[in-house]
Amino acid sequence: MATVQQLSDEFADIQKKLQDVIEARQRLDAQYSENKAVQKEFATLDADANIYKLIGPTLIKQDKDEATMNVNKRLDFIEKEIKRIEGQIKDFSETSEKKKAEIMQIQMEQQGQAQPT
Amino acid sequence: MSKMPASKQQTVDLSSLSIQNLSSVKKQLDEELEHLTASFQKLRTAQAKFRECVKAIQNGVNPEVEGKTILIPLTQSLYVPGKLEDTNTVLVDVGTGYYVEKTTTKAIEFYNEKTKTVGSNLDDLEKIITQKTQNAKVVEDVLRQKVLAANSTSSTS
Repeated sequence: MATVQQLSDEFADIQKKLQDVIEARQRLDAQYSENKAVQKEFATLDADANIYKLIGPTLIKQDKDEATMNVNKRLDFIEKEIKRIEGQIKDFSETSEKKKAEIMQIQMEQQGQAQPT
Repeated sequence: MSKMPASKQQTVDLSSLSIQNLSSVKKQLDEELEHLTASFQKLRTAQAKFRECVKAIQNGVNPEVEGKTILIPLTQSLYVPGKLEDTNTVLVDVGTGYYVEKTTTKAIEFYNEKTKTVGSNLDDLEKIITQKTQNAKVVEDVLRQKVLAANSTSSTS
């Protein structure tokens, strides 16, 4: 049977992973809203508006249709990523809860044994 | 974007919670509050930046400056003289690496709109923060009472 030490190490590990995916989720959220804002902005522009894309240190002129398509594609991708990360968050929280319960269980048992003195 | 707090959806009697549970709830609330206040600050700075952009266009890019020599900052402390070729249009960073050419009036409109959106987000956030602060205070009160009660009736069980 695993010791409390091992279990709590595993628990800490899962917590760390959970933290990481939550941060990833927040970053995706931020990117999503930024892209949404750009999409909204593009929708209000005239078809012949001058759009430039920053590539490295240079601004490259881009077609409006192309730019709109690009942003839509990015939004699609981010949506999928968010779904994927959501799944991970769920998995990690479940395993973390399970580990926590295991640790509690063992601690209770140990306390029960230590009690009669 | 701002979300409504997850609490308030179900009511839990705080006095039925253990000291341990209460302090973890308190800790969670504190962390949320810290995060929210940090976001609030960031939004504030963003709003100030948008306002500055509007001012920069109004003062720096208008027909009056046409033909006049201006100093262009290459770094924060290095300037070179130059002239504005075009006082009607500016390039606006709309986000995610895209820049759009806009007339000055359109650009000012754009920034004003941004300022307004950020402003309404700030209002929402402020409401959430007050709500959370209140929640945190209530939890803290109950926690203190519990601790006091536990101390006075210590050495039980």
